[in-house]
Amino acid sequence: MTTTTQEQKSDAAVSPPAAVGHPRRSFKRWARETGWRHIIGVIMSIFAAFPLLYVFSASLNPGGTLVTANSLFSSFNFGSYVDLFNRPQQPYAAWFGNTLLIGGISSLGTVFLGALAAYAFSRMRFIGRRVGLLTLLLVQMFPQLLAVVAIFLLLSGISEIFPAIGLNSQIGLIMVYLGGALGVNTYLMYGFFNTVPSSIDEAAKIDGAGHARIFFTIILRLVAPILAVVGLLSFVGTTSEFVIASIVLIDPDKQTLAVGLYQFVSQEFSRNWSIFAAGAVLAAIPVMTLFLFLQKYIVGGLTAGSVK
Amino acid sequence: MRVNNKGLWAVGALTVTASLALTGCTAASDTADNGAGTGEALTVWVDADRAAVLKDAAADFTAETGVEVKLVQKEFGDIRDQFIAQVPTGKGPDVVIGAHDWLGTFVTNGVVAPVELGDKADAFQDVGITAMSYEGQVYGVPYSIENIALVRNTALAPSTPATFDEMVTMGKAAGTEYPFLVGLDPEAADPYHLYPFQTSFGAPVFGTAADGSYDADALEIGNAGGDKFAAWLAAQGAAGVLNTNITGDLAKEKFIAGESPFYLTGPWNVPAAVEAGIDVAIDPIPSAGGETAQPFVGVQGFFVSSKSENALAANEFIVNYMGSEEVQTALFEVGGRAPALTASFEAASADPIVAGFGAVGENAVPMPSIPAMGAVWEFWGVTEAAIINGGDATSLWQKMSGDIETAIAG
Amino acid sequence: MTTTPETDPGPIRQSARAKRATRIADAAAGGWKIVAIKILGLGVVDAIAIYALFVLVRSESWLVAGLVVAVTLLVNWIYFSRGKLPAKYLAPGLIFLAIFQIFVLLYSGYIAFTNYGTGHNSTKADAVNSLLLSSQNRVADSPNYRLTVLEQLGEISFLVTEPDGSVSIGGEERPLKEVNNAQLEGDVAVGLAGYTSLGFQDILGRQSAIAAISVPLTDDPNDGMLRTPDGSSAFLYTSSLDYDEAAGTMRDKNSGITYSDIGTGAFTSDNGQELLPGWKIEVGLDNFVRAFTEESIRGPLISVTVWTFAFAFLSVFTTFALGLFLAIVFNDKRMKSRKYYRIIMILPYAFPGFLSALVWAGMMNQEFGFINTVLLGGAEVPWLTNEWLAKGSVLFVNLWLGFPYMFLVTTGALQAIPEELTEAATVDGAKPWAIFRFVKLPLLLVSVAPLLISSFAFNFNNFNLIYMLTNGGPRDVSAGVNVGATDILISMVYKVAFVGANRDYGLASAFAIIIFILVAGIAIISFRRTKSLEELN
Repeated sequence: MTTTTQEQKSDAAVSPPAAVGHPRRSFKRWARETGWRHIIGVIMSIFAAFPLLYVFSASLNPGGTLVTANSLFSSFNFGSYVDLFNRPQQPYAAWFGNTLLIGGISSLGTVFLGALAAYAFSRMRFIGRRVGLLTLLLVQMFPQLLAVVAIFLLLSGISEIFPAIGLNSQIGLIMVYLGGALGVNTYLMYGFFNTVPSSIDEAAKIDGAGHARIFFTIILRLVAPILAVVGLLSFVGTTSEFVIASIVLIDPDKQTLAVGLYQFVSQEFSRNWSIFAAGAVLAAIPVMTLFLFLQKYIVGGLTAGSVK
Repeated sequence: MRVNNKGLWAVGALTVTASLALTGCTAASDTADNGAGTGEALTVWVDADRAAVLKDAAADFTAETGVEVKLVQKEFGDIRDQFIAQVPTGKGPDVVIGAHDWLGTFVTNGVVAPVELGDKADAFQDVGITAMSYEGQVYGVPYSIENIALVRNTALAPSTPATFDEMVTMGKAAGTEYPFLVGLDPEAADPYHLYPFQTSFGAPVFGTAADGSYDADALEIGNAGGDKFAAWLAAQGAAGVLNTNITGDLAKEKFIAGESPFYLTGPWNVPAAVEAGIDVAIDPIPSAGGETAQPFVGVQGFFVSSKSENALAANEFIVNYMGSEEVQTALFEVGGRAPALTASFEAASADPIVAGFGAVGENAVPMPSIPAMGAVWEFWGVTEAAIINGGDATSLWQKMSGDIETAIAG
Repeated sequence: MTTTPETDPGPIRQSARAKRATRIADAAAGGWKIVAIKILGLGVVDAIAIYALFVLVRSESWLVAGLVVAVTLLVNWIYFSRGKLPAKYLAPGLIFLAIFQIFVLLYSGYIAFTNYGTGHNSTKADAVNSLLLSSQNRVADSPNYRLTVLEQLGEISFLVTEPDGSVSIGGEERPLKEVNNAQLEGDVAVGLAGYTSLGFQDILGRQSAIAAISVPLTDDPNDGMLRTPDGSSAFLYTSSLDYDEAAGTMRDKNSGITYSDIGTGAFTSDNGQELLPGWKIEVGLDNFVRAFTEESIRGPLISVTVWTFAFAFLSVFTTFALGLFLAIVFNDKRMKSRKYYRIIMILPYAFPGFLSALVWAGMMNQEFGFINTVLLGGAEVPWLTNEWLAKGSVLFVNLWLGFPYMFLVTTGALQAIPEELTEAATVDGAKPWAIFRFVKLPLLLVSVAPLLISSFAFNFNNFNLIYMLTNGGPRDVSAGVNVGATDILISMVYKVAFVGANRDYGLASAFAIIIFILVAGIAIISFRRTKSLEELN
């Protein structure tokens, strides 16, 4: 079910073609029902996007700094965007690809592992269930001040046995990210799984479906909205993660956008804001695209999935 | 709610958890014992800017000696902590690029090995070798030396000012928005950029021992000159000449826009000004307190890990390749930092900007690399910012001096 | 929900044959696929485990090898036996969790009981080695000896040509003695009968050994030792430190002071002076004692703790309130182009956080920032330099950073609330606000309460935001402590444990554990209170 069909349907069902027949009444009604929502939408859009207009403006002004932006868009020069892809020491295109790959795999893995665990917590009763749920949350509350040292030691230990998945490997990094797959995500899904009536499972069970079948073919479909939310959260989390990635990934060709971008402004005394800003603007595109793509699942709602 | 063998499950989960955690621990400690695995390739950490130049030098080195050089690109700022953390595990690099003021921490942590420059020591500028020395021992091969100086927009100010006051007068006469620019942080000012003025009042941070190295026990920052400097800061802050709202980026921006004839900065900001079409001259830093204004000098260079299994190759690489005129000149050309090798520096001095900064650098002193400096940074900048913004000069400055002393005594 | 089909076929009650036949076929088909996947997956796991075992046994890491065997057997057992359903679903996630999170946690816990930090970051052997290396001083005005490295029956010797042209040979504990039958190339000796001269490649192949060799100049060790930094030249060094391995003491030859290992992780003289680097030792509860007695912590502790709680609570409250409000506003199907608003509102979340903090810091500059110059027409509001305004600014920026997350999560959670409930309430004549307050909100809280608690914990330790936006400032310089108005506990810990160039990981870990206990305690209590909510379902 796509948003367009929804809208067409709701147009047909709720408000007869506006503006044409009875302009005044329609407008009042429009204002009461959705007009104020648009006002809030516009205000919030300005609030959310304004600081980033700065960034966009800075990206169009090679040689400028972030503070130049008080006079927004004083220059329209796409030089920084071109320059971004022509730096052999800072392979932006490779970073972009790596980020998509690492973010994509990690978020798929997170969704899968998290959903498995949430299913167990929601549908099964076993000793240690409550304690287990609580522990998952508590583990993630530990201040990560020393995580870097520990992760370095751990991965260098793994490197001794499997160089391919240890330090300087993207698989190693993905595994570290998957370590955080449970935790908050499991809770988010657990809450949602609980809202799926257990009568559905039981009906399927009576039909003779095994637990794996129920899980993969019925439950996962019903909880699609939350899978999409968790997938997106995890994708954003991994793509913007910086500290661990900079320890694990050593070769510039293997690094991610967050690590690479930081290089543009961390050079002592030779910060390149414009290129950095251009890189950040492009870096936001995958997240936006993914969100656009997932939105229909996120707001599709239960009814959309449970029909079939 | 029935599930089979529920007890077993709990035990199982516990075992997995515990055993895997132990796996990690043991694996990690194994690593620490084994030391660096490969004795083949030489691992060198550099930042992105310099990786390109080193690539050629590394290729030459490999061609001549057969030793592979693996260049690892790191954030310059990350190198220090990661080097200290990784060398003890035996997984660290053989060679790193770094700043001389990290040396104290490196030596205290035992992660660097002394470097024998042999007869080559004379080929470097003295300040470079001094900066790379710690307790009488040389630990690094210097490659660049840099310091700040007064950058003047010749279109707005035709001559070199002799004193700070004269500069401000000239700056006001130029009719620009600001008589003088220096980038400060609203919260922590910038002791590095303000240091030449502080020394012109005769208030260095530390006194020096007989061999010219800094003496942590002789804190001089709170002397009578220091008080005068503090009063001067307050006066300049009140007059608006020093303004903590003008950050480094803003100062650069405004100088490029031609809004001030004078800009106290390092060589790193000059190219942008030149590109913007400003004709610049590099002047000595005018004295504010009567004595010579001595800026800090920062030296960058290469260090060898104390746990390197390629000690000979690493030495060969940094002394004979990184220390060669060819590489030093190439590094200068890419980064614009004045070379530490005298021959390369002289060649680079054909550029009046390099020569100008070099001339100012003759009065400069190395930034202290002794660990006690950490305690100084902690209080220094915020106190300066508070004084510039109207705090009570003398009492704050003395309070700072006392706090630093307490912190050093630990 | 109650039972697993494998073990309990009880519920099957229908008896129509055709149905049963289809069902069996169906189950068999599904079962076949699942079994195949299971075998394939376990095969991969086992193959990896066997490979790991091979490597581990070869390197004689018996303990790790034993653990790998145990874990592999456990995994196989879980998936091959019938039942144990929860374990089947939880094992994959738990394994990653155990390796990459529990390990990190345990490691930090262990560090808290050591003196790991600047000057104490490796083993005693490393410290000794490093001290001895640093104590090698080149003899003033000593010449540069040209060197050829020789080998005889596996033993390395140095063939040195002195500046005056005389040639000598020596080795480890074999002082130099002059030879006169060396082969010369120019005026440098390059070989000696009976010995093999090593080329540069050979030297590189054995460089660790060669770099460690020191050849006494004469029988008197005080005359100095020859060492080579590059294999082609040698220099004369004297060492100012003497290590007595049997007694475990270091003696400074110049001052005559003896430094001994008194169990503090560094060689210490009688009057308490330490030689650094030292080494890492376990110090028991010392770090915890220090954490509670540290003067620089105790002074500002109360105000920082209060602010940390206020910051974490207000951050959660404001982001959740705004996120929920927006989720509800844009959850109306009649509204057109919701999708575009949503995308724009997700923007703050899609940009790198450190970039956003930098932009906000610039916009809040007192004199030149956009907020003051453009929005407020030139007012000089000290957004980041006044104590209270800075606290407000931090919260405001965190709201901007955090509301998209809450918006996303609540939008997802709202979908879980069945339409029928709202419809039923509307039919009963409930007003929209009442529907929200008494129907939607309680249901919503059931699913998001754990997230709010976890968000509280996250903000409680939100070091990055504070560090990037204000670095804890503004600071009251007259207070004499390195703690500012916006410092939260974790950023204060960072400043105390990582002062200047000194990093005290042991102390930092001890603090981390204390903070963890604090946050975990709060979380557990909160859970107790939300338990009633959980039972609603």
